[in-house]
Amino acid sequence: MVNYYLARTAQALFTVFAVMTLAFGLIRLMPGGPMDFVRAQLQQEAGAVDQAQINAMVEVYTNVHPEQPLLDQYVDYMSGIMRGDLGVSMWYDRPVSEILAMALPWTVFVMTISLAFTFGIGISLGAAMAYAEGSRFDSISTLVSIFLNSIPYYVAAIVMVYFLGYESGMFPIGGRISSDVTPGLNIPFIASAFYHAALPIASFVITAFGIQALAMRGNSIRVLGEDYLRVAQLRGLPPHDIALRYIGRNAILPMYTGFMISIGFMFGGSVILEEIFAYPGVGFYMFRGIEARDYPLMMGAFILITVAVVIGVYVADLTYGKLDPRASTKGGDREAF
Amino acid sequence: MTEPEPTTTKMGRPVFEVEGASVTYDMDRGVSRVLDDATIDIFEEEILGVVGESGSGKSMFASSLLNAVPPPGTLDGEIRYHRDGEVIDLLGLSPEQLRRVRWEDVAMVFQGAQSSFNPTISIRRHFEETLEAHEYDIENGLEHARQLLADLYLDPERVLGSYPHELSGGMQQRALIALSLVLEPDVLVMDEPTAALDLLMQRSILSLLENVKEKYELTVVFITHDLPLVAGLADRLAVMYSFKFVEIGRAEDVFSNPKHPYTRALLNAIPNLDTPRSRMHPIEGSAPDPVNVPTGCSYHPRCPLADEQCEAAEPPLAETTDKHHAACYYWEEAMEEIELSIESDEPAVDDTVVGRQSDEPVVSVDAVDVHFEQGGGGLFGFFSDPDTVHAVDDANLEIYENDVVALVGESGCGKTTLGKAIIAAQRPTNGTVRYRGQDIWGTRDGRVDGEIPWEQIRRSLQMIHQDPGSSLNSHRKIKSSLEDPLRRWHPNMDPGDREERILGMLEYTGMSPPTDYALRYPHQLSGGEKQRVALIRALLMNPDVILADEAVSALDVSLRLEMMDLMLELQDAFDTSYVFISHNLSNARYFAGNADGRIGVMYLGELVELGPVDEVIDEPLHPYTKVLKWATDDMELSDRIEDPPIRGIDIPDPVNPPAGCRFHTRCPEARTVCREESPSLDEAVSAHPTACFREYPMEHPYWDSEPVDDAEETVTGDPIDAG
Ligand code: SF4
Ligand code: SF4
Repeated sequence: MVNYYLARTAQALFTVFAVMTLAFGLIRLMPGGPMDFVRAQLQQEAGAVDQAQINAMVEVYTNVHPEQPLLDQYVDYMSGIMRGDLGVSMWYDRPVSEILAMALPWTVFVMTISLAFTFGIGISLGAAMAYAEGSRFDSISTLVSIFLNSIPYYVAAIVMVYFLGYESGMFPIGGRISSDVTPGLNIPFIASAFYHAALPIASFVITAFGIQALAMRGNSIRVLGEDYLRVAQLRGLPPHDIALRYIGRNAILPMYTGFMISIGFMFGGSVILEEIFAYPGVGFYMFRGIEARDYPLMMGAFILITVAVVIGVYVADLTYGKLDPRASTKGGDREAF
Repeated sequence: MTEPEPTTTKMGRPVFEVEGASVTYDMDRGVSRVLDDATIDIFEEEILGVVGESGSGKSMFASSLLNAVPPPGTLDGEIRYHRDGEVIDLLGLSPEQLRRVRWEDVAMVFQGAQSSFNPTISIRRHFEETLEAHEYDIENGLEHARQLLADLYLDPERVLGSYPHELSGGMQQRALIALSLVLEPDVLVMDEPTAALDLLMQRSILSLLENVKEKYELTVVFITHDLPLVAGLADRLAVMYSFKFVEIGRAEDVFSNPKHPYTRALLNAIPNLDTPRSRMHPIEGSAPDPVNVPTGCSYHPRCPLADEQCEAAEPPLAETTDKHHAACYYWEEAMEEIELSIESDEPAVDDTVVGRQSDEPVVSVDAVDVHFEQGGGGLFGFFSDPDTVHAVDDANLEIYENDVVALVGESGCGKTTLGKAIIAAQRPTNGTVRYRGQDIWGTRDGRVDGEIPWEQIRRSLQMIHQDPGSSLNSHRKIKSSLEDPLRRWHPNMDPGDREERILGMLEYTGMSPPTDYALRYPHQLSGGEKQRVALIRALLMNPDVILADEAVSALDVSLRLEMMDLMLELQDAFDTSYVFISHNLSNARYFAGNADGRIGVMYLGELVELGPVDEVIDEPLHPYTKVLKWATDDMELSDRIEDPPIRGIDIPDPVNPPAGCRFHTRCPEARTVCREESPSLDEAVSAHPTACFREYPMEHPYWDSEPVDDAEETVTGDPIDAG
């Protein structure tokens, strides 16, 4: 059991480490890559400055010291990241970590709410569909779920921003909050935050809940046929216990894989989505970074998104081990020996 | 229809009166009547054995006793339950009343214990929620549960604290029995409660059940397909065929003097240890379809005595002799004309089968160990200490041409692993496996330059599984599944020949018309037919050795003989050897005995006895073989089941096998020396190799050492996975 947590933690750390190394590799080693690009830009801008000065500036921007041996550069770069130093954005001319620190809570906010709604709606709808298996409601919901799931989230986003934003003006077309609220734990601020996040959340949820509903429906139908359900009924357990502890729990647990994939998918999707809604989250800055060839910003956002995904999946994984006793111990099929 | 009456003085009052109970399902094809007009009384504190093959309606009868027929089935008729003089009409109760009767008065145990528990909650929680739902006092209830678990030879705290998957099959089944008794019901209905377990565990559970029944004054309805299994346990037996009771009577009468032709045929079809092998016969024909039951006596298409009367009108279930009811017009004739294999007058001697084994082994297994690492593994395996499971330790065995070796033992004893090692489907951790003298794994790795290429070795060693369905692709027709091996191994064979060969094999194995079978999908075949297809597929490779892993265990009793006969017949035609794996000594005896083969007994990864079939069966030497024989020996109708000749029910954990003789924790003959030293197969001076000090030369210190004190040993095994 303890070993399982250890192994899982090590795996998470290793992934983060690998991604950072990859980022370093991209910055430092790609010919015509970020280093050269930054250098070329600096040279263009300030034709007169000498090579040493340019190197110093490259160092500031990319957090990589081009003069040192490769290994030292690598160690410096990694320890820089550990200290939170991701270099300086060329476009905004501010430390990348500062920009991202401001943006991250908003992305996490949108993601969390989206995940909650996607799974909340998916699970309830799926359970209802399984309960009414074969009914009109079931077949219509199945069709709708499949249809919505086949729409890419960015198409939904563009359609919504066009009709609900530009055309009708019902929702804002950009920003995180209105300029007239004071940040803090007050109602106008929170309401405004939700108001601005509504469309990004909606485009994720509308296109993602269908698959979860279908998965939940399938799981529930399978559990409904299990022997232990029949035994529980014969033992006279109250229906709500059976619904929660027997059907619910056993049907929801397998959806955990879907949940993990969703975490990754949504963070990845935030790059495009936040751009469409001009929502200044991590993804938005990453997009800007790509557009402006602002490598430090781009790499920083990339690392941050990866770390966020890894942490999300890690937490989900550990909680799963708590919920499903089979996950972390190995049930042995003894006859297999 | 006369109603069966109390049969002995002991059975005073009835607990259940079932009258004309029927269960029907509306299907597209028509009404499916899966329980047809069942009428029977069940008496206080008796054990009623209900026997039938799969699809005979016996499970429906079980569910009816709790008025719990799976929807959308409907249950009609009358079922009266007597509780302390009060008569309860089970079919007329309100849902809440019915909920109370279930489990508080009548409880039920199902076949697959693993699937009867919610996998995500602990065993303790199962007990607690049951007590809560019926408003019992939790503390007292759990105390009672602990008592029950202890009565069933389980360690209460340990089991309560476990999750279902952490217990072995036998432990789960016993925990389930305890769960069913926690509300102190009067009646316990058990639907095939032991079918998924190996024989020794079945017998052990039965003997515990007997004690529990006495202690808690239970009435037990025991549903099974295995007549001999319940014969010793039950007071009365009721035999079901085609959704009806066809024979009801005292257990000893039904078992030794069955009157219905079906019961007689069923008894003759069951392999056992005493009957001469030549006198066991499969039942011809197949069981009827519930939508389309034959008119008149539903057994007439298969009955050798059937005449027009039988086809025209259904015989009533009538009393024949004293308290013995049978539904047959010609029960007197049946008793004379259908001879029972066990009571035949002919001398019970088999023709000696002379094997045609070669002198040179085809496969030889030399000092083979197979260890599995449990846990660990993967990229981060170094963080955890993997447990080493000793699946097979130091096995030596030779398989000759035309040989049959049956490996027997409990679940988890390593028989499957050793079997796989023999056919090169499992790489041994240590030791060598040779095919015609050539090191198999050396060839595989290119270390040995033999004449026989690896591909050819692979092809010569084939396997058929317990579950034939899993080895056939469900989306492909039988023909294309069978063409694969031919295409792979005989790429130059022309398609016409290939087809002819396949059709020929189908025909040969009794699947005619073969052209029809060739075009079916696996789900359109019965279990027996699927198993035949799997056998054909293995045989198409012209293999030297076929590993048959519990190949007949999943089949209905009456089909087992048929399948084994077919396999033996094909051995003659194809010159193959079999390694036959079974937990059932009778099947092993029948199969290996008919080919003059050997039986190898395995315990916790070690071969403990290896010898000719008749020697091992008639004079088992190793104490463990004696236990297995005890577990199988149920054809003799003993009044009471004796306690098992073994000191612990559960097999110890193969991760930490006991030191010394691995059997010493359970061996009734164990002495202190057995704890330290381990006996080996070849030092024994007995007729055939036996790994027990009792078969060593008399000077062995065993005889001077003290018997082990039972109190020091734990009665329960240790298969809980510490994970
Ligand atoms: S009634 Fe006729 S067909 Fe039925 S079992 Fe008796 S003899 Fe056979
Ligand atoms: S060696 Fe000892 S413990 Fe082992 S089987 Fe023989 S008597 Fe029993």
